[in-house]
Amino acid sequence: MENVAAFRNFVEEACRRVGADESVCFEMKLVVDEACSNLVMHGYKGREPGPIGVSFSRQGNEITVTITDRAPPFDPKDAPIPRLDVPASERRPGGLGWHMIREIVDRMEYEADARDGNRLTLVKRFKPA
Amino acid sequence: MEIAVEKREGATVVSIDGSVDGMSAPQLVAAFREQIGGGNPRLVGNLASVDYTSSAGLRALLETVKDARQHGGDLRLAAVRPEVLRVLELSGFTSILQVFPDVDAAVASFTA
Repeated sequence: MENVAAFRNFVEEACRRVGADESVCFEMKLVVDEACSNLVMHGYKGREPGPIGVSFSRQGNEITVTITDRAPPFDPKDAPIPRLDVPASERRPGGLGWHMIREIVDRMEYEADARDGNRLTLVKRFKPA
Repeated sequence: MEIAVEKREGATVVSIDGSVDGMSAPQLVAAFREQIGGGNPRLVGNLASVDYTSSAGLRALLETVKDARQHGGDLRLAAVRPEVLRVLELSGFTSILQVFPDVDAAVASFTA
């Protein structure tokens, strides 16, 4: 979990460097935290902790963050969809992270490859300063 | 993340300073739980100095508000920063948690 904070800071700083505004920097920090925390909490749960890689790139007005891992494949499409329209007593804690990722990013792709591991690509458009 | 607790007339104020994430959220849950277990289920979460929360923080708030209400109290939030409020809104938490502009207003809401 300590490493998750390092990934978060890396992405936030990278967003600042390309001139994204603070709200985009905050949101990309959040999505990286959610995706990596899921890997630590669920992906690698009950097994030897494996690698997580985070890379950042910018092309034009798009920021791309790619997260690679070697945990058992988990397609985000299979994440539970949280009910947000029910009272607190009926809320379930699961799926909030993926929900926020879906809300924030403009595009999300997931590939699972037996040889190369899993790759989650998150793309967010921004207005360059 | 650091936590300070202050007893006020009508409510207990739990002030949080720093980032709430998967590392720090358990500490937050424990602090709230200690107050509820100690007979103080009317809680104000002072978020004035919280610059970040992930869904781990949301789960801590959800667990606490359920627990507090089961004990006849509530968890109400105060002084939430815009970026943290955005996380609460994205996750639909503003419909289950009352948010007040400052601590005094949140505390007063318990005696109103």
